[in-house]
Parts: sequence; structure tokens; C-alpha cells
Amino acid sequence: MLVTKQAPAFTAKAFHQGGIKNVSLEDYRGKWVVLCFYPGDFTFV
Amino acid sequence: MDSVFSHKIWNETELSKMVDGGIPYPMLSDQTGAIGRLYGVYDEDSGTNIRGRFLIDPDGVIQAAEILSPPVGRNPEELLRQVKAFQHNRNTGEVLPSGWMEGGRTLKPHTGLAGNVWKAWQPPKE
Repeated sequence: MLVTKQAPAFTAKAFHQGGIKNVSLEDYRGKWVVLCFYPGDFTFV
Repeated sequence: MDSVFSHKIWNETELSKMVDGGIPYPMLSDQTGAIGRLYGVYDEDSGTNIRGRFLIDPDGVIQAAEILSPPVGRNPEELLRQVKAFQHNRNTGEVLPSGWMEGGRTLKPHTGLAGNVWKAWQPPKE
């Protein structure tokens, strides 16, 4: 159960505002973050 | 699970036709499912990440999570309600009763409130 625990750290490549960059969860310390997973691009819902 | 290039094409060919200007947030690529495994949302059978959503506070602590199987979409209004509720709690120390919406009744926790919540707050009647 992850709720109330420190969020696991990660870094990943990301598409953002037309470009490709690296994103780390650490970069968002001090901000509220919503992290969403989904099965795949072009899925219907 | 897809590459950043797939994200780019999806955003350009489809999502930007549903959201003005396309998706404003970073679309991360988790091609090996490594991040999904860290968060317990990677499904070995299908080799995909299912619909997990985590609300992380400014200290990096997970305050809320929702996990759905693939066929049903999420409710952004409920996510926003939770964001506002956790932000309110963090800013004021007040707690937010069942069904709380922005501007609704909040409670200040104190010893005298134990057993007396019913005097301060009632659930909405059907």
C-alpha cells in the first residue's frame, strides 16, 4: 500500500510541449503532482 | 508504455482534436513497465500499466490513489475535489467530511469533537 508513503522516485523520457525531455519526480518537490498511468496510446477510453 | 514518439503522434493526430492545444502535461514513457511496477499498476498478463492515479503532495508523499482496470475511464472532477481537499487540509489542518465539496463544511479536529461530530455535521438527506 503506497498511500501515506513516500512516492517511489523515477526518471523517464517525456513528450512535452512539442519536445522530448527527461522528467524526474524529484523535479516536482514543492508542488502537487498527479501521476497517471494508462494502458496505451490510442486506447479508446 | 508507449514511446515518446508514439505520445507525440497520438497528441498531434487525436488528443489535440479533443483538448485545445493538446495535452499540456509531460507524457512520460514507461516502455519496460519499470515505473508501473514501482507503483503496483503493471499487469504482467497484458504487459501494460492499468489505470493508476496517484496524488503526491509537495513533500513527495502519496496522499491518494485510484486504480481502475482498462475499460472504464476516470472522473477528473473527483480528482480535482481530492486535490482541493488535501490542499485545504494541508493549509489549515481542518478535516473534510464525506462528500465534501469546495466551500463546504469543514471540521477542526479537537478532543471535544469526539462523539459530537453529529452536532457539527450531518450527511445530506436523500
